[in-house]
Amino acid sequence: QVPGYTKGEQKSVLFASNKKHSVPSIKEQKVVVDELSNLKKNRKVYKQQPNSNIFFLADRTETLSECKNTLDELKKAHQELENSEKAKIKK
Amino acid sequence: MEPRRRRSPLSPVWGRPEHEKVVTGCQEKIQHWKKVESDYEALQERLQTLPDKLSYDIMVPFGPLAFMPGKLVHTNEITVLLGDNWFSKCSAKQAIELVEHRKKHVRKALDDLQKVMKNFESRAEFTEDLQKMSDAAGEYVDIREEIDDDSIETKGKYRTAHRPHSKPKASNVFEVDFPANGSDTKSMGRFQSEEELWARLEELERQEEILGELDRMPDAVEANGEDATSSEEEKDKETDVNGTCGAGDCITQGNFHNEVANSDLFVGQLNGSAYYHSDDEDDRGAGDNAVPTIFFSHTVEPKRVRINTGKNTTLKFSEKKEEAKRKRKNSSGNGHPTPELPNIKTPADIYRVFVDVVNGEYVPRKSILKSRSRENSVCSDTSENSAAEFDDRRGVQRSISCDEATQSDTSEGILEEEEEEQQQLPKKLPPSSGTAEAFSGTVIEKEPLSPSLIPHPVLAHPVLPTILERKSEELLSDAPEEPIKRISKFKAARMQQTQ
Repeated sequence: QVPGYTKGEQKSVLFASNKKHSVPSIKEQKVVVDELSNLKKNRKVYKQQPNSNIFFLADRTETLSECKNTLDELKKAHQELENSEKAKIKK
Repeated sequence: MEPRRRRSPLSPVWGRPEHEKVVTGCQEKIQHWKKVESDYEALQERLQTLPDKLSYDIMVPFGPLAFMPGKLVHTNEITVLLGDNWFSKCSAKQAIELVEHRKKHVRKALDDLQKVMKNFESRAEFTEDLQKMSDAAGEYVDIREEIDDDSIETKGKYRTAHRPHSKPKASNVFEVDFPANGSDTKSMGRFQSEEELWARLEELERQEEILGELDRMPDAVEANGEDATSSEEEKDKETDVNGTCGAGDCITQGNFHNEVANSDLFVGQLNGSAYYHSDDEDDRGAGDNAVPTIFFSHTVEPKRVRINTGKNTTLKFSEKKEEAKRKRKNSSGNGHPTPELPNIKTPADIYRVFVDVVNGEYVPRKSILKSRSRENSVCSDTSENSAAEFDDRRGVQRSISCDEATQSDTSEGILEEEEEEQQQLPKKLPPSSGTAEAFSGTVIEKEPLSPSLIPHPVLAHPVLPTILERKSEELLSDAPEEPIKRISKFKAARMQQTQ
């Protein structure tokens, strides 16, 4: 756990790196969204610059919306994959 | 993904694992490059928005575990790593361009990797298909070329041993003769005169024979006549064989031929394989006299070489042979042994016969073994020579050169004597002679005549002189002389000269 300013920042990092591994990344994304939505309003949210160790201060509501969007995308992709697999099995 | 899944359950094909390895390696690399690309994209994104604000609140990493709140102030001032820890300061826009440039490179690498991956995937598919085909249908045939063992053997097949009459020996003869010739040249003049001398002697002998001075049987004369003719043939043959001999050699050769003319029958028989045909003729001629023929072949033909090396010693030997032949003939004709000659009944007698007479004294030959060894080695000239013999000869040559020096000294004195003696027609026969028992009808190759051989053959074939082994010639030539009753004066003279 990186210092306790926010929890969401780490989740976002995970989200970025695990985009393609749908199932775990979906889970993470769910956690991130959950955390962000449960944060107090005065809390600061930092977002890590990918491939570096710097965290930029980000807007909490914006981050939450971003995370929700990505979660939706991930869910969609996951759905598609499952559908295609099912179709193959049927064939 | 799909094609790989299809392939995976199939049985492994050779080469396919390698292809698979390459493909998976490519995929890993592609992954890596894609990550790099995505990083660059993120960076680019950040750079694009970075100069938008004057300052940024950030958490500054303080070691791997700690962070400090901080402010990013110089938002449009970026240091770019060029490589090897060299950095350049540039604006965000320039940095974006740089990132773009690097992304190009990354994309290129990605494309290459994709191509490689496709290539190897297709290869893997091909090998897979190949295996399928080979498994499914018998269209594909194994083509093999089997190497016959025969082809290997042929090399050895054509190798044949030298035949006894084959020519290559001539070269050997030449080899041996050449050094001997050198020493001969100094005595050339003498030999020439000698040659004439011998020719004259021969003529006289023949006249003697014709006049019946020797009380020869008429058939014996006849045989002699034929001998003369056949001897001519022999001469030719000899010259043929000796064609390679040097000029100096030829002189001695002529000398030798004279002797041959006299002793042709003997020689012919002795020579065996070398003069086989002439032997036959001789025998046929002698066949009128009911002379049994003994055919044999052996490897020995010492005469030529002896002459080459030789001077006195050679003359001596051949003379003795000749004499022996004559005596034998006589004995066959008349049947009386010559009383003067000692009977050889024991080895001691042979030794006595074998001794040289110098100034009326018996002087044992010092180099009996040497001379004989020389003969032996020399013999191989016309006949088959084994490698061992060849070596022998070489060794002998060396010794000969030494011998000649000594021999020439003694021989000169003797030669002078010879001239005088020739006029006197000395009656005394050389002590070298043998009883009838001393020679046998059997020929033993390369073994000196042993006393055990003495008893049998002459009695069995009294008419024909025994055929003797070349090797043991020295001994033999002495031994067979015994039975001869009469001898030409000239012959006797020669014999004495030789001693």
